[in-house]
Amino acid sequence: MFIETAGPAAGIAPAGPAGLPATRRPTRRALSPYLYILPAVVLLLVWTYWPLGQTVNLSFNDWNLIPTKPKQYVDVQKYAKVLSLPELHQALINTGLYILAFLGISVALPLVFALLSRKVQGKARTAYQALIFVPFLITPVASSAIWRWLFAPEGGTIPAIAAALGAPMGNIFRDPGSSMMAVIVIVGWQMLGFGVLVVSAGLAGISPDYAAAASIDGASGRQITWRIIIPLLSPSLVFLSLMTILLSAQWTYPIIDLVTQGGPGNSSTNIYYLLYQFGFRNFDAGLSSAAGTLFFLGFGLIALVFVELSERLSFYDN
Amino acid sequence: MAFITIAPPAQPGSLDGALAGPAGVSEPTTAPAAGRRHLRFAALRLAPSHALLIALALVSIFPIYWMFVTAFRPSSDALSTNPFPGPLSLENFQYVLKTIPIAGMLANTFGMALTLALSQLLVAILASYGFARWDFLGKKALYLLFVGSWLVPFQVTMIPNYLLVSQLGLLNTVTGVVLPQLCSAFAVMMLRQHLEAFPKDLLDASQMDGRSSWRTLWEVVVPNLRPALAALGIMLFISAWNEYLWPSLIMQKSDALIQVGIRGFLGAEGNNWGAIMAASSLACLPIFLIYIFLQRYVVDAFVRSGLK
Repeated sequence: MFIETAGPAAGIAPAGPAGLPATRRPTRRALSPYLYILPAVVLLLVWTYWPLGQTVNLSFNDWNLIPTKPKQYVDVQKYAKVLSLPELHQALINTGLYILAFLGISVALPLVFALLSRKVQGKARTAYQALIFVPFLITPVASSAIWRWLFAPEGGTIPAIAAALGAPMGNIFRDPGSSMMAVIVIVGWQMLGFGVLVVSAGLAGISPDYAAAASIDGASGRQITWRIIIPLLSPSLVFLSLMTILLSAQWTYPIIDLVTQGGPGNSSTNIYYLLYQFGFRNFDAGLSSAAGTLFFLGFGLIALVFVELSERLSFYDN
Repeated sequence: MAFITIAPPAQPGSLDGALAGPAGVSEPTTAPAAGRRHLRFAALRLAPSHALLIALALVSIFPIYWMFVTAFRPSSDALSTNPFPGPLSLENFQYVLKTIPIAGMLANTFGMALTLALSQLLVAILASYGFARWDFLGKKALYLLFVGSWLVPFQVTMIPNYLLVSQLGLLNTVTGVVLPQLCSAFAVMMLRQHLEAFPKDLLDASQMDGRSSWRTLWEVVVPNLRPALAALGIMLFISAWNEYLWPSLIMQKSDALIQVGIRGFLGAEGNNWGAIMAASSLACLPIFLIYIFLQRYVVDAFVRSGLK
């Protein structure tokens, strides 16, 4: 969304009053846009871009975060070390799995739900949507607490049901085979409703005239869905997928920290939790920064590919 | 886009039929009797959709319902799996209030979230106005700074940010949590979209009336954007309230904010689920209140953020 608006938006702006002949105080007028954006740009430089530069800088140094201890330049040693760490490989694989899971939970499933339920309209729809959206608003400490209680081996609802069904389960958070699934369930519970609402809103924005015209031409419901609705929805879907890929690791971070701490044995960790552990547990600023720089570059590349893809694949309704 | 209101007229058999698929199309709806039959038919056809949505709503709501049920249970039957609340008890809440200074945490977090929402809104109003109203040298490059910041995850810059906050002597203070987040690039981008769609005639008219750009912003633009600003402000407030990573780093030795305070409580209480659920429901309470009263704004703002 944002990435694409940058292009056309710049073309729209000159239509504003700036396009009128500047009569009074041209210098002051020329300055004013800069003054308006100054606070935002300064804050962004101080708290995002300067630190980003610092991170790159730290990635070439060995330093344990103690202000009195001098940093020691170590060239690309930290990169070499981090790339050879099995923890990093595990975290990368996990992050890939998380992304796949959330592509299913916050893009594919919502698409199915939204398509199947789009005929439900009016008050009923409003009520369903109001309820479905609630988990998205739950603060991470509360959602992790709720699910720890639901999954609690003693008195937890889900193990009780599982036992009644004849499939007793242990502590899902302590088992390396299921800890990641637990994180996916908790975060997925929060993201599913959000996805359904976003896709539904996208559907509601598609004029029913297209489907009407196609059905007059004899198109079947399936054809209408696949040939008209989904292509018209593709900008929303591409954007939602991009968000999922870029943000999955951030969505899972609080829950990982609160519920599993990445464990047991790194089974549920992700790349950003690894950065936290390198930096604030092992106090290896260089290692954390080297990994962070690599992740930043990797995701930047993915985003560029996506922008290119969406330019080529998207069908626009205008 | 208030998709809730956009819903096309749900007149089964008329416009809706075409959208609904082949069954609706093939059935002529001329005679009133046929129309009534169609109505019943349509209701039946909607049953699976309703079932699906009901299932989805149950999955969404049950954990939250369970949180409240557990919180209001007397501690004597804390491990009860009875799905319906028996005698309601405030015992757990009293215990939480006695054990941790939760009222102070809620007040601090409220102040933090409000400060952040207002400052992010103000900074975004100014910046998006600058971007939307003028064409200037370097505009594209400067805007790219905002778009690009989306690609810089906070985890990548957290060590330098942490060091800066620590050099300023603001570790374990709410100010240290607020300071790095005063500008939300996301808010700038959202508001710019609104401002690009703002009628240029109004701006021109305001200029002809002799208003400066500053007065135009506050007397013409902001009053007209009130609904969008309210929606965005509420969203920023909720996001600030739910933010976890940065408070958890900065407030390691303080439990002034609800996120870290409750985290400590969770660790200390172990299996005292009634108390944990009571504390959790208190942590969500302000957001729930906002949602109950301003639901349309909340959904609208968040959904728009995910919409291309």
